[in-house]
Formats: sequence, structure tokens, C-alpha cells
Amino acid sequence: MKLLKKIRGRHVLLPWIIPGSFFLVWMAVSGADLVPHYLLPSPVKIIQTGYSYICASPGDSPYAGRFLTDAGASLTRVFSGFLLAIVFGLPLGVLSGRLAVVYGLLNTFINGLRAVPGITWLPLAMVWFGIGMKTTVFLVSLAAFFPIYLNTAAGTRQISARLLQAGAMMGVNRLRGTFGILLPGSMPHIMTGLRLGLGISWAYLVLGELTGVPNGLGAVIMDARMLGRVDMIVVGMILIAMVGRASDGLLVKSLKTCFKSARRMI
Amino acid sequence: MKDVVTRELLKAEAHPEQPVLEVINLTKHFEVNGTSISVLEDLSFSAGIGEMVCIAGRSGCGKTTLLNILAGFLKPSDGTVLVNGEPIRKPGPDRCVVFQEDTLFPWLTVRENIGFGLKRRAKDKRRLNEEVDRFITLVGLGDFQHYLPQEISGGMKQRVAIARVFILQPQVLLMDEPFASLDYYTRREMQNLLVSIWRDLGQTIVFVTHDVDEAITLADRILVMDRSTGRIREEIELTLPRPRRAEQTDYVFFRRKLFELL
Repeated sequence: MKLLKKIRGRHVLLPWIIPGSFFLVWMAVSGADLVPHYLLPSPVKIIQTGYSYICASPGDSPYAGRFLTDAGASLTRVFSGFLLAIVFGLPLGVLSGRLAVVYGLLNTFINGLRAVPGITWLPLAMVWFGIGMKTTVFLVSLAAFFPIYLNTAAGTRQISARLLQAGAMMGVNRLRGTFGILLPGSMPHIMTGLRLGLGISWAYLVLGELTGVPNGLGAVIMDARMLGRVDMIVVGMILIAMVGRASDGLLVKSLKTCFKSARRMI
Repeated sequence: MKDVVTRELLKAEAHPEQPVLEVINLTKHFEVNGTSISVLEDLSFSAGIGEMVCIAGRSGCGKTTLLNILAGFLKPSDGTVLVNGEPIRKPGPDRCVVFQEDTLFPWLTVRENIGFGLKRRAKDKRRLNEEVDRFITLVGLGDFQHYLPQEISGGMKQRVAIARVFILQPQVLLMDEPFASLDYYTRREMQNLLVSIWRDLGQTIVFVTHDVDEAITLADRILVMDRSTGRIREEIELTLPRPRRAEQTDYVFFRRKLFELL
């Protein structure tokens, strides 16, 4: 039961039980040579490759020291696309949640568009934007748009009419009502939309980068596959998981720092 | 005694014959599945400066509809509502509402909720803070001013709801069964609190209720609404002194009369 002990109300060890045991099994499997190393490299090898990828000086080996450049390129793409998705998704979501006309105008079109899997856009995006930054940003923003739009619309639609009436009787006009009541009142939904959007951004980032761009975390994985460096593929995957998880945490943290409603209602 | 004098003075200073709130031939129909249902029919009444008017009626008689029209949330089918002689157009801080349900902003503290309406108008931050302090004290929430609505009881929430509208000094205060969901003791407590704040500030109040005792405890005048016709059936002046107690002979008399009418 010591494992379940909490420090300041948070479980310390509990979240690490599954990754930890997974790691141990992996150690055992590769130590006993049950699976050939070219299919599943040993954890030690992964750590070595990861260390060299992140910390070694560039030029020592094919992937040494490239992490910062790759992560920088990927983050730029993810955030550009994500930002674009917010710029379109949030206002359209609010309008469609509150105005029946906008809902009627957009709903069929957007849901039709949403039914097309994001991957299907890849060939068209490559024709339109070529290989690289533009295609990736396009795919990321397209994919992230839907959860942001849908959740914002749902959030602004479900807000109690009485809250808006209370604002109106205290002399709040439409503009201040939107920023002072509607958006804070929908914050839990909006936050869910943004988090889902950011999560899917990472998925589409990798898709966009698989098309042969020179740098980026997704590009490294694809490059490593062609060179048969399974260890590097695994390192890339783990790093994407870590950076993705960190960016989600950062998103939640910055929303909570900036908005009372995010801090107090979630 | 002082507050009565102030109110008399106010009355004389303003137009003594003009009521604050005038409702003239108000009619409201709702269209339901193609048939028109009449909720309010040719309803007229008025409320003077500093008067507490209770509108009593069984549920479904159109009390809340009436209040929604007075607040400007609903448009009447016919008739006019005047505040200080001006017809109303949309919701505004001259006619504030205390709702039956909880309509505090859950992301704001007690203090921020109370200051919400005033913040928009106040230029001077220090004055705003003093004013908010005064009303927090008035409703007795000094120790809870930094709590969130979800952390306080139902009675306290209604105290906040009362403070946030009294602070705006509306011409007319509209109250839609604000204490209906509270337990008996809290309800009595809130009624006394309301009477004491009202006597301090001399606001005109229209208070909607289905509770006979509540109406007799609070009102200067009770308008009894008729469920079937959507009109005012009877108007009762209450001359009882305050605080009113259920043992008083007159109280019992009015109580019996109201029960017969409702």
C-alpha cells in the first residue's frame, strides 16, 4: 500500500506502475533474446540513442544532437496549425452555438467535412502546398479545428439562459456579455476542445512530416525507418509522447493562469 | 421612523402622483401547437416609490411570465409597462431581478459577483471597493467574500443575489420567489433581512410568491392573481405594523382571506 501513498493529495508512484512494469518486461524480453534486436532494440540501446540524439554534439553520428532543431521545427508547425485552428474554430463555435442562423448555415457543411478522414487531405495538400511547412500546418489546423469548433459550440449552447439574463439586467451589453459571461461560462467545454485539438495536432504533425521534410520529430522517424534504425524510431516515438504530454500540461497551466474561469471551474 | 420620513420626502420631491412602475392593460398570449393560450389578460397595476408590492397566485397563474415581461426578457402581446413614465424596451439595470434559481456566476467569488454590475459603471476603483464592502456587510457575508458560489449554502447564494442588485440601486426590484427553495428557518431569516435592507434603502419592490405567509410578512399591498382569467382578482392593502407576527389578530384575518382567494 506504500505505492498508493499520496504526497500533497497527489499519487506519486501510482502513475508510474504501468510504464515501470512495461519497461521491466521489455528489459526481460530483450535480455533473454526472445525477439531479434533489429525488430526490438534493448532499452539500454534506446537510452544510448536517445542520449546521443539529445545531448551529443552534431556530427558524431547520423542523428547526434539533432533533437533541439527537430523539436523546434515540429513545435513551430504544431503551434502555427493549432493557432490557426483556434482563430477559426473559437469564433465560429461561439457564433454557431448562439445563433441559429449560423448553426443552420455551418452545421451540415462542417459535419460533412469532418466525415472525411484527415489523411485523405494529404495528397491534395501536397499538390496545393508542396512538401514541408505549409502542408503540415494545413493538416494540423484542419484536424484541430473540429474539436475546438464543436466543443465551443456545445459549451456556448448549453449555457443557462438565466445567466445571460442576469447579465442583461445588470446592464451588460452584447460584447461584454460575450467576454464576461459566455466565454467564462463555457470554459470547461472550450478547454476540452483545445486539449483535444492540441492532441490531434501532434498526430497530424507526424503525418505531415512523414512526407519527406528534412527536419522534425516525425521526419526523423521516417528517415530512421529507411536506414533501418529501429532504435531511433522508438526514441522518436517516446520523445513525441513526452513533448505532446508536456505541451498539453503547458496548455492547461497557461489557461489556468490567464483565466479565472479555467482556474475555478475545472 | 427615519426611513419613512426619507421615503415621504422622496415621494414629494419626485412627482407625487406618478408611480415608479405602471403596468397598463398588459396581455400575453403564447402560441402552443397553433392554439393561442392566454396567460395574462388586460392586467393593470402600479407601484409607488419605496412600495413593496407582492403578487400572489397559485403556480401556473402567470406570475413568472409577468415578471419576465417587467424585466424585459419577454415582449408583451399587448399593453405597456412604464418606469418613471418611460416605456421599457429591453432588460436594464433600472429593473433588476432576483431569480428563484441560482444565477450567480460560478467563476467569480462572492465579492466579484456583488461588484459585477457596478464594475462596469464605476470609474473610481476605491469607491467601487467601498460600495462592495458596504453591501457585503449589509447581507452579512463578510467572512465569505472570497468564497466561490459552489462553496456556500443556498441561503448565502440568495444573499449574494440580493446584494448584487441592491448595489445597482434599481428603480424597481423584481423578485421571483427568491426564497422558495430555502428551508423554513433560512426563509424567515431572509425575509427579515430583505425587510431591513428595504427599509434602509427604500427601493420599490415587486415580489412574486405563492406563499401566503411570505406575502403577509413582506407586503405593503398584495395583488392576488386569478389563475383562470389571468387578471388581478383582488387587491389587499396591509396596514399591519412591522415586524409582523403570526399571532396578531389582523395577521390571522389576512391569512384567512388570502387562503380563500387563492
